[in-house]
Amino acid sequence: MGQTVSFTVNGSRKSVEIEGWEKLIDVLRDKLNLTGTKRGCDDASCGACVVVVDGEAMRSCVYLAKKLEGKQVLTIEGMSNGTTLHPIQEALIEAGAVQCGYCIPGIVMALYALLTKNIAATEEDILEELAHHLCRCTGYEAILEGAKLAQKKMAAARG
Amino acid sequence: MEFKYVGKNIARPDAAAKATGRVQFIDDIRLPRMLHAAFLRPEYAHAMIVSIDTSEAEKCEGVVKVVTGKECAFRYGENMKDRLPMAVDRVRWIGEPVAAVIAESAYQAQLAVKKIKVAYEPLPVYIDARDALKKDAVLIHEDAPNFVRLPGMEPVPGTNIANRYTLKKGDVEKGFREAEIVVEGEFNYPFSSCSAIEPHGAIVWFHEDKTIEVWSSSICPFIVREDMASVWGLPVSDVRVHIPELGGCFGYKSDVTIEQTVAWVASFVPGRPVKWVATRQEDLLSTLIGHGIRTMIKIGAKKDGTLTALKTTLLHSTGASMDTGIHVLIASTHNSTGAYEFPNCHLEGLSVYTNTPPVGAYRGYGHQESQFAMERMMDILARKLGMDPFALREKNYLGPGRVTSLGERLWESNGDVRKCAKTVQKIVFDKKKKLSEDDNYYYGRGFAALMKSPKGASFSSKSCYLKFNSDGSVSINMGGAEVGQGLRTVVRQVAAEALKISPERIRVYTEIDTQFSPWEWQTIGSMFTIQGGRAIIRAAEKAIAQMKRTAAQVLRVDEDRLVYDGDSIYLNHDPSVRVAVTKLTRGYTYDDGVTVGDVVHTTADARLPRQSNPDACGQGTMGITYTFGAQACELRIEKATGKIFIDHFVSCFDVGKVINPRQIRGQVTGGVMMAIGSTLHEELKFTPDGKAINPHFSKYRFPTILDAPKKQTIEFVETPEHIGPFGARGIGEHPVIGVAPAILNAVYDAIGVDFCEIPLTKEKVLKALEGKKAR
Repeated sequence: MGQTVSFTVNGSRKSVEIEGWEKLIDVLRDKLNLTGTKRGCDDASCGACVVVVDGEAMRSCVYLAKKLEGKQVLTIEGMSNGTTLHPIQEALIEAGAVQCGYCIPGIVMALYALLTKNIAATEEDILEELAHHLCRCTGYEAILEGAKLAQKKMAAARG
Repeated sequence: MEFKYVGKNIARPDAAAKATGRVQFIDDIRLPRMLHAAFLRPEYAHAMIVSIDTSEAEKCEGVVKVVTGKECAFRYGENMKDRLPMAVDRVRWIGEPVAAVIAESAYQAQLAVKKIKVAYEPLPVYIDARDALKKDAVLIHEDAPNFVRLPGMEPVPGTNIANRYTLKKGDVEKGFREAEIVVEGEFNYPFSSCSAIEPHGAIVWFHEDKTIEVWSSSICPFIVREDMASVWGLPVSDVRVHIPELGGCFGYKSDVTIEQTVAWVASFVPGRPVKWVATRQEDLLSTLIGHGIRTMIKIGAKKDGTLTALKTTLLHSTGASMDTGIHVLIASTHNSTGAYEFPNCHLEGLSVYTNTPPVGAYRGYGHQESQFAMERMMDILARKLGMDPFALREKNYLGPGRVTSLGERLWESNGDVRKCAKTVQKIVFDKKKKLSEDDNYYYGRGFAALMKSPKGASFSSKSCYLKFNSDGSVSINMGGAEVGQGLRTVVRQVAAEALKISPERIRVYTEIDTQFSPWEWQTIGSMFTIQGGRAIIRAAEKAIAQMKRTAAQVLRVDEDRLVYDGDSIYLNHDPSVRVAVTKLTRGYTYDDGVTVGDVVHTTADARLPRQSNPDACGQGTMGITYTFGAQACELRIEKATGKIFIDHFVSCFDVGKVINPRQIRGQVTGGVMMAIGSTLHEELKFTPDGKAINPHFSKYRFPTILDAPKKQTIEFVETPEHIGPFGARGIGEHPVIGVAPAILNAVYDAIGVDFCEIPLTKEKVLKALEGKKAR
């Protein structure tokens, strides 16, 4: 039966009653109404549901909610500040990487985890990360361009 | 003509809302007292349902109702009513809904579905049209000849043939008699899935006032609305369909797909909304799938390369329903000429019922399947003739004055395939091939020309409602579905150009709601830019004319002396005599408060000009322009593994006018990638008894960024189209058409093996390489 887990989401503390079977995506979407995190497959292979947990990109569709105790979760809703976009979001838009937009939240979060850990990530690092994200619209060209632009923007912001 | 906004990289109006995850897709919608449905799918692809026991499921926590198809008495469909919302006494494909549970939560519904027990009596299963056509085959729909359908669709009694489309041009026998060389081949384009990352979903709510409210991940709200009204016996106006944001479409969210199934279920709990969103497995098996088209082709030619005759027979494994597949096959059949003129044609397409999910629209709508055959055959024919394949094509290209299979004589404004071909040739083939082989790889280059015909209906209009606001900004409302293709940006740019105001002053609609949105047939066939654009220009012209009428009163001059520049209307020979647009939008108010003139809001529409139904020969007019293009690739085949690496993919299309360079590039890079997926990896596979082998992304090999071509070169020819907005034609589907033949022609160039079916996996290539060595 139910248990309670306490964790932070986008900087705000939450205590949520969960069932043993529930995954992080269920908690985010159905309990906290954070619907920016998307569900695209049954088997952890599309990357649309990626969020950042304690600095690491995680597929929220297979991340058990009961493991959330004490964790810090960052979702797409926590990326922009008011109406000011994060440089990763700006970069993907500028590169034309946003078409239908369904895969974008997962990609933004994955790039955030990657570039926060290693702002000097190589193109191979970026490709390796993006290989976990399916996009049917773009053919990936604009996504790669956007990722590289995001890296530049984030590096510039750090000075 | 100089353009101020068209041809520029204007920003997408919807990008920020998407990048922040703020936009609402179907699964993000939560309604008060909403219930959730889950479906039971069959264990057999073809079986009689002997009994269904729902008693255990009914006892589960949270369950409100368990629904079967037992009492279901209606069929639906736009072309042929051969679709059931839920299996009644027989299942005909593996993804068909057999029963449903409605519960307070989706999880509860899913748990309870597992408790439903069904007894089946299996029937023979036909996956491929060839098997379903066998003499002793069991009929998948015994009553097909009695189904309600549009005129011209004729199931063949006593067979699984759901429809036969025949096109005759000239005298094909005479054409083959005149031929000095004849080549034949058979090509297969297997089942696959559009696989948008957002799965299908719908919410249906039967209200206490007898109206129905629907939310659906559909690109055809008005067709869903009419179908709902017809099935549930309501005036069309009593059905309201909302279309939230769409996470990709690529074809399979057109037509009525899942909506009637959710409606059937929701009808058991009137007063409460019922939501269902497909799992990926359901999205792959229980919505619409793509292709399943086998093309048998025979070409006759003179020794100098002049084409004399074409005979094609297309067999379509259309699935357990033909409603959504019939026009895919008709399009595939009459487009099997590709970009060439054949004086004599006999083209036949058979839609055959099979025990597979229904085939529906897939980006390209029939064009890639049969042109795959044609473009491979062009290379093969050139080889037999000992002729340069470009020269062979060049001799026979369609163009001004030449006549398509449908009997349409082309104009210059239909576009220039020669220019496209030359552009691509120059980029890839003008330089000598660097290398045919080294220690690790074989190298190859291949080419394909292509033709895209439109596919619509005579009444298939798109409409625009344009409203000037008090500050001179403009709101535009249309019924076209934004699926990611960038339609909203196109609307903004075309409107800005037509109204001579900056794009920032134009706000484009977001959601579609049949209660407010102007009518549109459906957003398919790469036709929004051309038709929707035309509707916008017409609405803009009306608005300007209306403002001029009011201004003429105010300025006390004749209307035809007035000039509009976006901000003001002024007298042509004395611009100091002027009135600002902001003073005209709600009529003009004099100082004493007396107001004259009308509120400036207009509607306009644009249909397919002169579109006609096929005549007795299967010919007719498609009503809107053709588009031509050419594609080529440079690839490497790894000797050790058979793996194909696309180093360079080149595309050129005559799009009439590029509206937004960045967006159009995105359409082409995405389309090419999608078709590379089809060519090298993707196939929805079934066992001989109809069970799905790979209905998950982990097994259905969807291309990732690592499969992307190293480089894509994309060029455009701009031969203006008379009726398109500022000369523009469509582009959405075109990039997928020439990809498979270009790659397979390149594979022949690399290793000298002719492949006739896709996906060309590395295993198949490796086997061929080993076979070559053995010889």
